[in-house]
Amino acid sequence: MQRYSDRENTSTNRARRHHPLSPPLGLRALAGAGALALLMAACGGDDAGTSEDGTVTLTFANWADTEDATRPGLQETLEQFEEEHPDIKIESEGIGFSDIGQQMVQRVQAGNPPDVAQLAGNDTFAVASTEALAPLGEHLDEETISAVNPADVEGGTYEGELVAFPWIDSPQGFWYNKGLMADAGLDPEQPPETIDELMDALAAIKEEFPGITPLGLDVTNRPFGLGANWAWMKTFGAEPFGESGANANSPEMVEYLSWMSELASNDYIEPGRKIGEFRPQAAQDEVAFIWDQDVFQGVVQDTNGMSDEEFFEAWGVTTLPTGPSGEPYSVNQGHQLVIFNNSENKEAAAELIEYLSTSEDAIVDYTMDTALALPPVTEPEGEVAELMDTPVRQSFIEDINPTFTVPPYGQTFSAGYGPVMAGLQQIVTSGADPADVAEDIQSKLESALD
Amino acid sequence: MILPALIAIGVVIGYPIVRAIQLSTTEFNPLAGADPTPVGTANFEQLVDDPIFWEALRNTAIYTFGSVAIAAIIGAMVALLVENLSGRARVVKTLLLTPWAVPFVVVAFLFRYMFDAQSGVINALLMDLNITDQPVDWLVSSTWALPTVVAANVWAQTPFFVLVFGAALAAVPNEVIESARVDSTRGLAMARHIKLPYMRNAALIASLLMVVANFNDFGKIWAMTEGGPGYATTTLVVWVYRLAFTSFELGYASAVGVIWLVLLLLFAIAYARMLRRGS
Repeated sequence: MQRYSDRENTSTNRARRHHPLSPPLGLRALAGAGALALLMAACGGDDAGTSEDGTVTLTFANWADTEDATRPGLQETLEQFEEEHPDIKIESEGIGFSDIGQQMVQRVQAGNPPDVAQLAGNDTFAVASTEALAPLGEHLDEETISAVNPADVEGGTYEGELVAFPWIDSPQGFWYNKGLMADAGLDPEQPPETIDELMDALAAIKEEFPGITPLGLDVTNRPFGLGANWAWMKTFGAEPFGESGANANSPEMVEYLSWMSELASNDYIEPGRKIGEFRPQAAQDEVAFIWDQDVFQGVVQDTNGMSDEEFFEAWGVTTLPTGPSGEPYSVNQGHQLVIFNNSENKEAAAELIEYLSTSEDAIVDYTMDTALALPPVTEPEGEVAELMDTPVRQSFIEDINPTFTVPPYGQTFSAGYGPVMAGLQQIVTSGADPADVAEDIQSKLESALD
Repeated sequence: MILPALIAIGVVIGYPIVRAIQLSTTEFNPLAGADPTPVGTANFEQLVDDPIFWEALRNTAIYTFGSVAIAAIIGAMVALLVENLSGRARVVKTLLLTPWAVPFVVVAFLFRYMFDAQSGVINALLMDLNITDQPVDWLVSSTWALPTVVAANVWAQTPFFVLVFGAALAAVPNEVIESARVDSTRGLAMARHIKLPYMRNAALIASLLMVVANFNDFGKIWAMTEGGPGYATTTLVVWVYRLAFTSFELGYASAVGVIWLVLLLLFAIAYARMLRRGS
């Protein structure tokens, strides 16, 4: 200590402490106070997001702003909203579809969520389980809530509270290529209604067109992948996990896995491709059947330039071919809008949600024209009603929407999708024994859900 | 003067490590809406019985050491072949280094397209040469996915070994080469008995550096296979990502992270010792 003190008192060190380039003490104190003030301002006060003139700025996290296909339509719609609501400004934060769920959970943990976010599928319930979402019933009026599909309202309800409002509906349907069916000797107006009929149709397609993909099915290991396959599992009577825990080694699951194995061994499916990778192929008549959302039509038409009439001539959509349960199912992979509890401007946020989901301008310009999807409204009027009057949209509304099922989304789904999809991938890529794989999935699920 | 550096190291490196170790002894899932619950060594005990952990560890070992071994051998051969290029031919040396500069995402997508079962050039070549009559599902086959990812990594890493071995060869004293020539040592004998011993230290250090890099490599694997099919290409880093950011099992993910850290520390210690011995 003595040596240290001596060194501290040398002239060299004194000179260093009073270096001519060092700012004087007063200036440093001022700079420190300024930094502190900036920090406090950054941490926010009671009127976060509200400027002096009373204009509210809402932060809106969404993936629509990150995709070329949807960005212009979204921006145009948000500009229209701002024109109609001059006291509200929207700050759109683009976050990729695959990242938005995890980023919202992290931002909730950090205490820095946006005011409003676009979520879908399991992400909605994963974020809801952090208890960070505001109950929408307190901010949206009864008329607005009753204007949308009751199944969507139920699908956005978590622990008895409506926390996610439907923006666009995007159920999955069984699309069939009428031209390929006809050329393979199948009746193009009679798509397969059961799994047995489907297997016969796939065999006929494979024989006639060995180079094309008979069935476009997404078996990628991601929450979306399990959502896409949930309906197929359910029609076999299988639910690999639920509120009661893991149930993957059931006879129904083994039967489903055996069927998937048969699909793969006959080259009826192409494992490893995401659903979006099948769409351009389908646009070139290289896919006979595909389990896809309503956006399929728009992507195909954008790719091959078909008119609506040509598309309806070439493609039809119907319910899932039924398995042993005798019931068809569909999982709505639609997009929802949520408000975070931290938001200081929930009323303005509710106005944005109401506008995006139910106003005619937003539905026509964004939901139908840009996102190429279905609006959640039950009684469309005016231009929306006209646009809804197509064979595809009618098929979705009348036949497919009533088959909606909701997987056990939330913490369980987040933990359970990996083992199930990894097992499914093992089945379709290695020819492993379905009973062994079911047992393996079960043990991994028990560990994951523990 | 040391104090600010220590503070910076403590904040940037020390805190995350201490926090990860602390979290590894808890059960913590932010989706559950509860604070971390201490569970002692339960996460580590669960790891021992978790088949995915052992599969990920095995895949990590194959990816890490397989890539390094193959890239080092090819790198050594290429370095010996191009060693004496002079004049305009030296441009070949520069071209050989270009894969090293290609961003990993580009490497991943390049190989995804090359190894695509339907439209990839590899299958087209194999079928043209009648080596196979059926397209091989390189990236969606439990058998072939890992070797394919290793192949992409080898392509990207070989130039690094060429560079390091080239430098080592340039440092071989001329007198040694001349003496060997006087003794009529040529070609393979020269490479094996004279040059390779001079490349040994460089090989050890370069290999250890690449072992650490491969151990942490997430981008190439994620962009090519996302760890699939099944768990066929899931390495520790990919698994930690899935546990932490899609399942939000932060306690369990931290336990895997701690094991991963211990393994990396062992490599780092070996590297430091080797450097010390070399100097």
